[in-house]
Amino acid sequence: MKVASVELVNYRNYASLSLRLAADINIFLGCNAQGKTNILEAVYYAALGRSHRTQAENELIRWNQNKGSLRLNFTRMDVENRLEFYFDREKRRQILYNGKNIRTRELVGAFNVVLFSPEDLFLIKGAPAGRRHFLDNEISQASPSYYHDLAVYTRLVTQRNTLLKRIREHRSPASMLENWDPQLAVAAAKVVEKRLAAVSKLNMLANLMQRRLSANEENLSLVYELHGFPDKIMTDTLVSWYNKRLKESVEIDIMRGATGAGPHRDDLVFLVNDINLRSFGSQGQQRTSVLALKLAELEFLRSETGEYPVLLLDDVMSELDQRRRQALLAFIRREHIQTLITATDEAYFPADFLGNCYRVDHGQITMG
Amino acid sequence: MQYIAPLAKLIEHFRALPGIGTKTAVRLAYHVLDMDVKDARALAAAIVEAREKIGYCSICCDLSDENPCRICGAEARDHSMICVVEQPQDVAAMERMRDYHGVYHVLHGALSPLEGIGPENLRIKELLNRLRDGTVREIIMATNPNVEGEATAMYIARLLKPLGIRVTRIAHGLPVGGDLEYADEVTLSKAMENRVEL
Repeated sequence: MKVASVELVNYRNYASLSLRLAADINIFLGCNAQGKTNILEAVYYAALGRSHRTQAENELIRWNQNKGSLRLNFTRMDVENRLEFYFDREKRRQILYNGKNIRTRELVGAFNVVLFSPEDLFLIKGAPAGRRHFLDNEISQASPSYYHDLAVYTRLVTQRNTLLKRIREHRSPASMLENWDPQLAVAAAKVVEKRLAAVSKLNMLANLMQRRLSANEENLSLVYELHGFPDKIMTDTLVSWYNKRLKESVEIDIMRGATGAGPHRDDLVFLVNDINLRSFGSQGQQRTSVLALKLAELEFLRSETGEYPVLLLDDVMSELDQRRRQALLAFIRREHIQTLITATDEAYFPADFLGNCYRVDHGQITMG
Repeated sequence: MQYIAPLAKLIEHFRALPGIGTKTAVRLAYHVLDMDVKDARALAAAIVEAREKIGYCSICCDLSDENPCRICGAEARDHSMICVVEQPQDVAAMERMRDYHGVYHVLHGALSPLEGIGPENLRIKELLNRLRDGTVREIIMATNPNVEGEATAMYIARLLKPLGIRVTRIAHGLPVGGDLEYADEVTLSKAMENRVEL
């Protein structure tokens, strides 16, 4: 998968930009707050239908303007495709895929990216929500039906939680839960089954990368942790397990006004040589593991979709030491992965590092 | 800007309609002022007539200008089979099929705690009343295939099962006449789940 060109009109700090990209490496150099990340954000947006930096679509439209657009030409299996996004402060965003109007759920999976930004370095140490989000992004890109399953599950949890509060306030009988719980158990099982399958693949790939990065000294394993499931031996099917769990915890759920069991509470655990990285890993080990995970993501999407996604490296060069930086750049080069990199300093790149180099200055881009 | 009083009033009335914002309301109001007086009268009369003449059928709760409605009053239809739908529009969709000869029941919504809609807000009591005389043998749940529609179907099924009435759910899956390759992934996976033995 390669991006051929990006066209922006009144997007962030760009009044008008038409940018052709090289099929291999594209480096965006410039000081802070010049608009480097905005380019990467636009490419990320085209893949997932939302920004990694903001929930508010209006922030994407250039200051003092009412409309903006983002257009992207890319090749998938060497076939040219075009995605267009039109933003309007007063209307809903419009998406066109090869000239045809589509909805977000039809967009996800059309064009794939992997983003590596400084926030990812908190993936292991941070809250479980970040790790669930990571998994959901990966799987959605590889399987559009997962995106739908997750949306249905989320809707069901919201409905059930509202109902729990109504029951707590005696505005609804507790028996009304029986209309939602069987659906919820099925939806939860679907989400978890797909996550388990993805984690087992990612686990294998990430370990391969970790061994490569650590000169075969470290083994990384990823373990999907079902919330409230300590013994890890499943004798039931997932559906009947969730049905039981929902029944067992019904009183606590009503008291809290929230659903306690389900994939919205699960976690992903990282172990290096069987030691939990979150609690005991060193800073360096965590960085190596995040990098291994990102490389595993690239391989994962390749195995699911048949080609490498576009890699976006947002300001991570300065976060990695020289050895890890070189391992990353060597991997990109060997596998011919189209990569967009932002950096403040060209010293991070070896002199023979081929590709396009752009200078970004106040929303203007020049070839450097 | 201050609009002339009758115009301002008209704009406010348009704006109260679903899906119409200030801009559209203003445009519609100016359009009305451009109309012939004759056409404006006809429009106003049509609104009043529709509102006054159309009410709910006391049996199936569908919109109708007769009571009972034409479907509930038809001798030729099978009154032992009730197809339960969410909205009056759904009855019209089902009728276009011309293959269903039973009768309908319109719930006027679906269960949704988020919107504060419980069984007491739906026409469920009316449905139960129809089952008293024992003519009804099957209830077909044709609520929408989303989480709220499923929950509503589940609720009614649980309510009716003890009465010994057969409750069925319409199938979801591939559209007929379409090609498999053009079906979206979600519909396809639903169709796989609901596959039938040959």
